[in-house]
Amino acid sequence: MKSWNKTGKILPAVATLVYLFMWAPVFILVLFSFSNNKFGIKWEGFTLKWYAELFNNVAVRNALKMSLTVAIITVVVATIAGTLTAYGLYKYKFRGKRALRTTILLPIVMPYVVTGAALLAFFTRIVHVPLGYPSILIAHISFSVPLAVFVVLGRMARIDWTLEEASADLGADRLTTWRKITVPLLLPAIIASAALIFPWSFDDFTITYFVAGVGSTTLPIYVFSQLRYGATPVINTIGTIFVTLPIIGLLLVSLLQKKEVT
Amino acid sequence: MKRFLTTQAYLPYVGPISLWIVLFVISPLGVILYFSFLKVGPVGQIVPTFTLENYLTLFKGAYGIILLRSLLFAFGTNMICLLIGYPLAYWIVRYGGKLKITLLFLVIMPSWTCYLIRLYALKTLAGYTGLINSTLLNLGLISSPLEMLYNPTAVIIGLVYSWLPFMVLPIYASLDGLDPSLLEAAVDLGATPLRRFFTVTLPLTKGGIFAGTILVFIPSLGEWLVPLLLGGAKVMMVGNLVEHHFIKLGNIPMGSSIAAALTAIVLLIMYLSIKVGGEEALERII
Repeated sequence: MKSWNKTGKILPAVATLVYLFMWAPVFILVLFSFSNNKFGIKWEGFTLKWYAELFNNVAVRNALKMSLTVAIITVVVATIAGTLTAYGLYKYKFRGKRALRTTILLPIVMPYVVTGAALLAFFTRIVHVPLGYPSILIAHISFSVPLAVFVVLGRMARIDWTLEEASADLGADRLTTWRKITVPLLLPAIIASAALIFPWSFDDFTITYFVAGVGSTTLPIYVFSQLRYGATPVINTIGTIFVTLPIIGLLLVSLLQKKEVT
Repeated sequence: MKRFLTTQAYLPYVGPISLWIVLFVISPLGVILYFSFLKVGPVGQIVPTFTLENYLTLFKGAYGIILLRSLLFAFGTNMICLLIGYPLAYWIVRYGGKLKITLLFLVIMPSWTCYLIRLYALKTLAGYTGLINSTLLNLGLISSPLEMLYNPTAVIIGLVYSWLPFMVLPIYASLDGLDPSLLEAAVDLGATPLRRFFTVTLPLTKGGIFAGTILVFIPSLGEWLVPLLLGGAKVMMVGNLVEHHFIKLGNIPMGSSIAAALTAIVLLIMYLSIKVGGEEALERII
């Protein structure tokens, strides 16, 4: 029993240190975005002026617009594509199913530099996709579809499929069944995957950096271009947006899952 | 049910995605493999002459050292993440009680914020004029600021900071799915807690461990932003070489050979992880 008492003390200590390590830098970043210090590195009294500066900055506004446009289109396309794919994977047996399940994972398992570099070479030297919105969207959809597929697949294992059969037995055609039964049943998972894909796409830096080409600036790329000037309060404010956005997304997902359980 | 299951009925669902994967995932990888055996011309054009020179450059001299360093750093990061992540996941599952999900969320959430921003936050904190140095100076513990960045330790800390959540998540899922009756059986048969852990718990959660390994080792190996921001020019990794050749130099054949070698290593790691960790390693990735 002695070893248990020991682990009983070590484990909480490890956990506390990890939480501190993971959250302290982020917490300080958010805190300093409200600090008067013009280098954004220490506390000198509360201010909102950096936020005012942020929203008056045209470069930031344009970058934000591009990031939002990319993320919204990616969410819509990847969620629909992912839902259809999950349905096919769940409902049907076909040759190459296992291969499909594994290769779908490639864009999120591969190191980002490899995915980015391979797409860049492919777009500029083989198929001539213009760098900018087209290349960024193709890249983002590729690494977002897998998320939707597996979130929806998870839900599919837990729903009552007899409703779909009943609908068909009552004479509904395939489309009506989808509209009235399948989609409503899957809706929590569809919303959850959308809520996960949005920050996933909005946050991406490395792959976008490779395929963006000259002049396409998303918000993370804007931040990267500013880093050579060292720490600035404006980056702290952008960072705060990046921190709060996914937290809202994840909270939404957890709320949906709680609802699903009850 | 029958009417949905006609022979080609799956095609509208999985056809488009299969086409997309072949076009935008497999083909680009095939293309860099092809380019990696070609030469680069004076203005960055690709000359279709077969050569092995790119690979020879990669495996010897300065590039060889960078490749070795990357493997070492990725392995080290993976082990540190495992040594920290396993106890953390274990603590959450065993002692989390009602707060289990919240505690897990607190681990995962940072990984969903832009990692460029998180690295910037870490760098600012540990930087020359950062909060750690200014606090230590104010307390009188040091007389001049410490240089904590631009060394291998900073890079490894940055890698752990970036990828640790991806180790905790699959291990948590694995531990949480463990059948409690197996643990009770071990106790009934007289196993000590330590022995029970090593003979029952650990082997039964190896799927989670290897899924975590896929999710930590691979991105650490291909990392370029962490060494760029926290390591500087002295502590480069292969990811920096890929970026350097593709973006800065426009030498696509050389960059492709590095990316292709990286892909080969990644596929080998995935294959081994799934072989050792079982099918669960694959399923726990998402």
